[in-house]
Amino acid sequence: MTAPADAAGRPADPAGPSPRPTREEPAFPNTGHVARREYGELVRSRIFHASTVTLTILAVIVALLPIAVRLLERGGTTRIAVVASSEQLGASTQNVLDQLLNSQGGARYLVVVESDAEAVIRDVDDHIFDAAVIATRQPDGKIGFTVHAGETVGDGTVQLLNVGSLSVAFFDFARQNPVNGFQIPSFDVLRQAGGGTAAAPYDPSAYASRLIVGAVFGVLIFITIVIYGMWVASGVVAEKSSRVMELLISAASPRQLVVGKALGIGLAGATQVALVLTPAILILLVEDRIATAVLGPAAGIAPSLHALSVPLVMGFAVYYVLGFALYSLIYAAAGSLVSRPEDLQIIALPLSLIAITGYLQAILALTGGITWFIRLASYVPFWSPFVMLTRLSVGRVEPMELVVSISLLFLTILATAVVAIRIYGAGVLLYGQRPGLRAYLAAARHG
Amino acid sequence: MSLQIHGLRKTFGSVVALDGLTFEVPRGQIFGFLGANGAGKTTTMRIALGVLAADRGEITWGGTDTRSLPRRTWGYLPEERGLYPRMVVLDQLVFFASLQGIARDLARKAALEWLRRLRITDLADRKAEELSKGNQQKIQMITAVLHDPPVLLMDEPFTGLDPVNVALLREALLELRDDGRTLIFSTHQMETVEAMCESIAIIDRGRVVVGGPLRQIKRASGRRLVKLSVDGDHRLAWLASVPGARILRPGIDRAEIELDQGVDPEALLAAAVAAGARVSHFEVAEPSLEQIFIDHVGRPPDVDDTLAPATAGSSNAEDAA
Repeated sequence: MTAPADAAGRPADPAGPSPRPTREEPAFPNTGHVARREYGELVRSRIFHASTVTLTILAVIVALLPIAVRLLERGGTTRIAVVASSEQLGASTQNVLDQLLNSQGGARYLVVVESDAEAVIRDVDDHIFDAAVIATRQPDGKIGFTVHAGETVGDGTVQLLNVGSLSVAFFDFARQNPVNGFQIPSFDVLRQAGGGTAAAPYDPSAYASRLIVGAVFGVLIFITIVIYGMWVASGVVAEKSSRVMELLISAASPRQLVVGKALGIGLAGATQVALVLTPAILILLVEDRIATAVLGPAAGIAPSLHALSVPLVMGFAVYYVLGFALYSLIYAAAGSLVSRPEDLQIIALPLSLIAITGYLQAILALTGGITWFIRLASYVPFWSPFVMLTRLSVGRVEPMELVVSISLLFLTILATAVVAIRIYGAGVLLYGQRPGLRAYLAAARHG
Repeated sequence: MSLQIHGLRKTFGSVVALDGLTFEVPRGQIFGFLGANGAGKTTTMRIALGVLAADRGEITWGGTDTRSLPRRTWGYLPEERGLYPRMVVLDQLVFFASLQGIARDLARKAALEWLRRLRITDLADRKAEELSKGNQQKIQMITAVLHDPPVLLMDEPFTGLDPVNVALLREALLELRDDGRTLIFSTHQMETVEAMCESIAIIDRGRVVVGGPLRQIKRASGRRLVKLSVDGDHRLAWLASVPGARILRPGIDRAEIELDQGVDPEALLAAAVAAGARVSHFEVAEPSLEQIFIDHVGRPPDVDDTLAPATAGSSNAEDAA
C-alpha cells in the first residue's frame, strides 16, 4: 500500500490541535433573510389561512358569548318559593332574598311566598320551582332554614341564599331587641394600590373585567407559545427530513438559522394573533351598545375590556416576545435531533408540560388570588410569561418586581440560546438518532 | 494558492472518521476525492465548510485557515439532495444566494442565467416537489455556484443524472475550471474522474492511501493494461498460457487485460498469434483508476452498492423446504 501522499511535503503526523479561529458572522442580514423566508412561507400556507379563519370565528363567538347567554336566558327566571312558619317570617325572608338575589340588576330571581311545604318540594322536583326555602321558628326562638335545591340551582345561588338567611336572622334579632338599636353595618371594600398610592374603591364589574382580560391574555400567550413553538420544531424537522438542512447549514451559521426561524415564525404568530383579535376586540369595545340594542337598556352587561390598559397590552407584548424567544429556542434545539416528522411527538409532550405548568399557575392566580407561591412563580423564567402577566392583569405588581422578572427571563434566554444553538449545530447533521435526554446532553457538550 | 488538508483527525464517539488526513488540492484544478462509503469524504467536506470541527489538524485555502474564511468561499453540493419542497425554484435560488451575500436583484438575474444555461428556464416558477430528481439536482448545482465561489465542493454530483445531463454538468464544471475555480468532487464513477480530474486522492478509513496527479499515480502503479479485440473469440481461452495476465474487464467486442509488473505486452500478442487468434485491435494502455482503487482500498469503490454473497442455508429453496 502506498504511503499517504502530501504534495506540500509536510509530515503526515499533524502538528497538534491548533487554536480555533472564528469566522465573523454578524446576525444580520442572514437572520433577516431566514426570517423573511419563514414568515413568507408560513403566512402564505393553507394551514395558516385555515387556522386564522377558524380562530377568528372562535374569537368573535367568545366575544359575543356574554350577550348570547343573556339573550338565551332572557325571560328565564329562577323561581324560588319561601315557606315559613309564620306570616311575618315569610314576608321578611321574601323581602331579604329578593333584594339580595337581584342586587346585580335585572330581575333574574322571582321569590314568592307559599304555604304548603310538601307541595312546594314536589314542585321543585317537577321543575315548577328551582328551589324551596323552608323557614321555621323553633320553640327557643331560633330560626332554621332548609333549602331544597333543584338541578338548575348552582353553588353561587346557594351561597347567596346562605347570606340571605343570615340577614333574615339579623333583622329578626333587631326586631325582637329594639332597645339595643341594631344597625346594619356599612361595608366598603378598598383595593390597595401600593407604593403610597391611595386605595381605590373595589368595583366588582372592574374586577370581573380584569379577570376576563387576564384569562384571555393567559390563554392567548399559552396557545401562541405552544403552537408556534411547535411550528419552529416541526420546521427544523422538515428541513432535516427534506435534507435542505445540508445546504442551509453550509450557507448560514446555526445562530443565524435558529434566530431567523424563531423571528420569522414569531412574527407570523403575532400577525395571526392580531388578525384573530382585531374583530373580537372591536366587538368587545362596543359590547355594551350591542347588549343594549339586543337586550334593551336593562341588559346589565359590564364592558369586558374595562381593564384593558396600554401598560397591560405592553406587558403582554413584552412577555409574548420574551416567552416565545425562550420557548422557540428550546423547540428549535429539541427539533434538531429529530429526523422524522412522526418522531416530533416524542418531544412535543415534555416541552408542552413546561408551559402547561406555568399556565395552570396563571389560572390558579386568576381564581385563588396571588399567593406567595404565585409571586415566586412569577419570577421563574419558564413560567413568568404566564404568571406575571396574570399578576399584571388581576394583581398588583411593583415596578421592581417587573424589572427582576424580565431581567431573569432575559438572562435565561441568553443562556438558553448558547446551549440551544450548540445543540442545533450538532443535531441538525445527525440522522437516525433517537431524541433522548442523553443525545441532547451530548450535543450540548460537544457542540 | 491551494487547498491544503493537513493532519485532519475527527472521531465520533469510538469511531475514527479521519485519521491524520493530509493532501493538497492545486488551485484551478478539478480534483477527484475518492473513497468507499464511510471513508471520510463527507466529513472532510463538512470540516472544510466549517459545519463540523476537527479534533486535530487544519484546512487552509491560500494559507488561511478555512475556519476564518467567509462561507461564500465555498460552493457546496451535498450528497443528500434537498430543497424546500413547496418553495418556488427561483425563490429558493434567490434565498440561498442572498444567504451568501448576493443582492436579491443580482441573485435573481444570475439564477435566471444559470437556469437558461442548464436548459431548465421553464422550471423557474415551479415548486421543487414538482421536479424530477435530475432536475432537482441541477437546481442544487445552481445553488452551489450562484454566488460564484472560488472553491466548489461536490459530493457525488453525477449520481442520479441521465447521460445527457451528466454531459451537460461535465461541460459546466469544465467551464468553471477554465474560469479559475477549484473543483473538488467525490464520486464512485471512475470513468468520470479519469475524464475530468487532473489530480486525485483516494482515502480509506480516514487516511489518504494514494494521492497526487492522476497520470503520475497510474505510472507509479507499475501495472499495464492491454485492450484487445479478437474476431470470433471473446473468451480468450489461450490467455491461460500467459503467466501474469488476466482479464480485467471482459467484453464481446473488446476485452481489457491486466498485466503484472514485468510482463511484456508483446508476449501477450505473441501468445495470441500462436493460438491462431485473429487480432483486430491491440493497444497498450495505462491501468484503470478502478484497478488502482482496488489495489489500495482492497475493494471496488461502489462495493457497498452490490449485493453481498448469500450465506449458506439462506436460499429460497431451503426456506421453502
